[in-house]
Amino acid sequence: MSLGYSATIARRELRGGLNGFRIFLLCLLLGVAAIAGIGTVRSAIDAGLASEAASLLGGDAEMNFTHRKASVDERAWIEANSVANSEILTFRSMLQAGPESAPTPGLSQVKAIDENYPLFGEVTLVPAMPLQAALAVQNGTPGVVLHPALIERMEVEIGDTIRMGSQNFELRAAILSEPDGSLSDIGLGPRTIVHTEALTSSGLLGAGTLFEAKYRLRLPVNADVTALAADALADFESSGMRWLDRRNGAPGISTAVDRLSSFLVLVGLAGMAVGGVGVSAAVRAYLARKVNTIATLKSLGASRGTIFTTYLMQIGALALLGIALGLLLGGGLPAALIPLLQDQLPIPIESGLYPQPLFEAALYGLLTALIFSIWPLARAVDISPAGLFRESSGNASRLPRWPYLVLVLALTAALIALAALFSGVPTLTLWSAAGILAALVTLALAAMLTKALARRLARSALMQGRPALRLALGAIGGPSSEAASVVLSLGLGLTVLAAIGQIDSNMRATITQQLPARAPAFFVMDIQQNQIDPFTEAMVADAAVVKVESTPMLRGIITKINGVDAKEAVGNHWVVNGDRGITYSATVPQNSSVSEGEWWPEDYNGPPIMSFSEEEAAEIGLKIGDEITVNILGRDLTATISNLRALEFSDMSLNFVMVWSPNALSGAPHTFLSTVYAEAEGEGRLLSTMAREFPNITAVPVRDAVTHISGILGSLSSAIRWGAGATLLTGFVVLVGAAAAGAEARVFEAAILKTLGATRRRILLSFALRAFFLGAAAGFVALVAGSAAAWAVMHFVMETEFALNWGAAIAIISGGALANLLASLAFAWRPLATKPAQILRNQV
Amino acid sequence: MGSPVLSLNNVQFTLQGNAGPVPILKGISLNVEAGESIGLTGPSGSGKSSLLMLMGGLESVTGGSITALGQDLTKMNEDALARFRRNNMGVVFQSFHLIPTMTALENVATPLELAGDRDAFKKAKAELEAVGLKDRADHYPAQLSGGEQQRVALARAAAPRPKILLADEPTGNLDTSTGESIMDLLFNLRDRHGATLILVTHAPELAARCDRTLELRDGAIA
Repeated sequence: MSLGYSATIARRELRGGLNGFRIFLLCLLLGVAAIAGIGTVRSAIDAGLASEAASLLGGDAEMNFTHRKASVDERAWIEANSVANSEILTFRSMLQAGPESAPTPGLSQVKAIDENYPLFGEVTLVPAMPLQAALAVQNGTPGVVLHPALIERMEVEIGDTIRMGSQNFELRAAILSEPDGSLSDIGLGPRTIVHTEALTSSGLLGAGTLFEAKYRLRLPVNADVTALAADALADFESSGMRWLDRRNGAPGISTAVDRLSSFLVLVGLAGMAVGGVGVSAAVRAYLARKVNTIATLKSLGASRGTIFTTYLMQIGALALLGIALGLLLGGGLPAALIPLLQDQLPIPIESGLYPQPLFEAALYGLLTALIFSIWPLARAVDISPAGLFRESSGNASRLPRWPYLVLVLALTAALIALAALFSGVPTLTLWSAAGILAALVTLALAAMLTKALARRLARSALMQGRPALRLALGAIGGPSSEAASVVLSLGLGLTVLAAIGQIDSNMRATITQQLPARAPAFFVMDIQQNQIDPFTEAMVADAAVVKVESTPMLRGIITKINGVDAKEAVGNHWVVNGDRGITYSATVPQNSSVSEGEWWPEDYNGPPIMSFSEEEAAEIGLKIGDEITVNILGRDLTATISNLRALEFSDMSLNFVMVWSPNALSGAPHTFLSTVYAEAEGEGRLLSTMAREFPNITAVPVRDAVTHISGILGSLSSAIRWGAGATLLTGFVVLVGAAAAGAEARVFEAAILKTLGATRRRILLSFALRAFFLGAAAGFVALVAGSAAAWAVMHFVMETEFALNWGAAIAIISGGALANLLASLAFAWRPLATKPAQILRNQV
Repeated sequence: MGSPVLSLNNVQFTLQGNAGPVPILKGISLNVEAGESIGLTGPSGSGKSSLLMLMGGLESVTGGSITALGQDLTKMNEDALARFRRNNMGVVFQSFHLIPTMTALENVATPLELAGDRDAFKKAKAELEAVGLKDRADHYPAQLSGGEQQRVALARAAAPRPKILLADEPTGNLDTSTGESIMDLLFNLRDRHGATLILVTHAPELAARCDRTLELRDGAIA
């Protein structure tokens, strides 16, 4: 029979309406909408970042120097190639409320600006005033503006005196927004803005201070940014200059958004897989109702191919409808909501319709619908007419014929390949796909195990005399059990959620719970060479201080390895990406041990040599004898690796990837970095002492750092939880579908049980127990699988211990039980309310 | 003669159809004595099955009253009716109506368990043996033939030793020879336990095995 004839039958069949396909449509709609939505938001952020690039960067281009200002040559280049430019210095510092009041030091990220700042956009202040006016010297005192969080923490008001280093400032306003503020310098402490000139006598920008100098350039209208970048890099990259321009104005945010959205798309694909379970169940239920039609068509001479095409066309048409609705929701909702939320978002987002993510989501939806429909369809068309008439589920366990299996495998491979291509993170995608497949197989096995266990328990002597319980277990373990669809649909979403929950709590535990025992109280930076002894004495004199460890500190960028450009030599490894802390030492530093080679003699005075971290050396392929060139304060210094060290980080003590022989660096201007171990109750007093006696130094309270990192972890895990939530929602829809599909059977079962003498309470209890057990089983399996994944992440990636968080574990199991209970009880009313005769009379 | 086991007084039953109310039973009055067997016959649509359902409390009358073992079924709510059936009645249907998720043994044990019988499974096994299905105890309904399913249904109805057995065309879905063996079993069970039997059937020869035959026509006893 022709394709046209298949289409004719398909059209006639579809006249029956969408009854029974609501769950099919909803599963596809949700899956497609989630992926389309994530993709649309990602595209909107990318577009926003691109259109606002110059403003976000603070210039058409930026030249960036660590620890030093631009040299005369560099300044000359900037002047020659820009129509306007601005110098900005950023560093961390401690601020103190005025000398009269009780000091409440606040750690801040300071931005020191010149008269040209900002080149693009404007800084908004409260009370409203121009930034330059707010910072101007009035009555001999320069102005300062602070982030509201800092004002609150320091308990100061407009007009109060703020001391930074040895310089007093008058607080003139609070910072409401900075055009370039949201994306750069995200670190410890809220923002402070002052004029660079006002810092001259503050003592804060002495030699060796950890500051960063940024030169923002406004380029001529027709400037060739690519050529300028190449020119600047050719001239100055070797001296440690880093270049950013409007083409990639916010590389950190852009990369972070891309990574997070790629990850969320992968979570979305897990949701799609759950939706696939619902699609498959809906197709199976539909075909079960069409058994007589299929058998009749076969009896009348329709081939397997005709029947397959007929029903595939119907499913395809409905899939296209589901996908279209999903695209409408996933593409439309962000487009509608973004303009309303734009003002509250920290990054620019350009609302609109973006075809690529919609196309991507549509493809995923179509492939998922096909993969999960072909299997049950192929099985239905393979059954003989007599078999179809006799018993619709007679061949339930048989696999489809091999061409269909090959087709399903090919479509699955295509789906994974497309996901790898679109996500931009192929390795992560392949691992995720393997994880989803493994989870599906594990859940399917767990469902079989649950059925077998329930069957065994139902028949055990333990259940005799407990009819409600035995009925529940019998239904889970018996034929037409919902175990597979419930465990699969609920289990996958809960697995993702369980894994995230366990990883999150373990990470937090690693960071916070170990603190009181071993971690230092402060990292203290920018201690000048003439301050190190008085600083140590002042600290040791305080009874709360347990110990103080100090080490010289310089910063530099690895520019060459064995004479070859570092990035060319080892790629984009973090060690060569940006500036690194460097120290020198005559002896092996604490918390490390020489694992290969020999440490130098204490009085070593030969050519510069260094010790390199064993782990990083192995990662980038370094060995003893290799030459490393580091740009420190604009000068290239080269040393040979003489030994490798194993580092111990677990107690949060400081370690350096590179430790140089003293003779190479001790003459260079540098500061000291101290680690102060102290009792928690003395921390406030110590901070005040440091701020008062050594105003130029910066103390970072470890507790603040921990809070900061915990906050970042919290944001990450909530973003991923939203993704997992979408998966769970799809899972819940599948559950509702399963419950709806089983409703008829339950109405019948209730009618018989009533006939046999069961009260409605008992029947309800049996239904509730069944739903509870199945949901809890799904939750338990999810917990085991999710915890295994979390253990693997903690053990292999984080290299730390794993401990099960029982609170999160119980939440997962009870959440699963509750979800299934709700879905099931939503359909319990009819079986309980219907009179037995009305059902039993019609069942012939 | 003592008081009747079942007493129907002017029972009326009307269904609401699309075209308006459809009277099914039009004032049936009937007394059934303990241990009596009654064959209800009549053409399709005459109201036989509806009458049986009303006697079992599986449907509510729209007029009149039904008293069973001295209790007015028409005044009981659904749970009270369920409890009454649990203690006093066994029902066999034309379509067997076994619970598909339970094995034969579990199906038979269920009414005993619901009645709180501690030996439910022991008695269920004995009942299955009595209907010749000892070896099929662990089979699910879908794994049994029609005749076997009806034997399980008979065992299930008889297991709690009900005072009243209601059978709605129990051989309607079976071939003649299987049907005959089922009827033999049914009467055998009834004889052994001394239950009152109400049998709905199309077949006059089956009805003739009962003590009394009543024919229904257009919702009334002819």
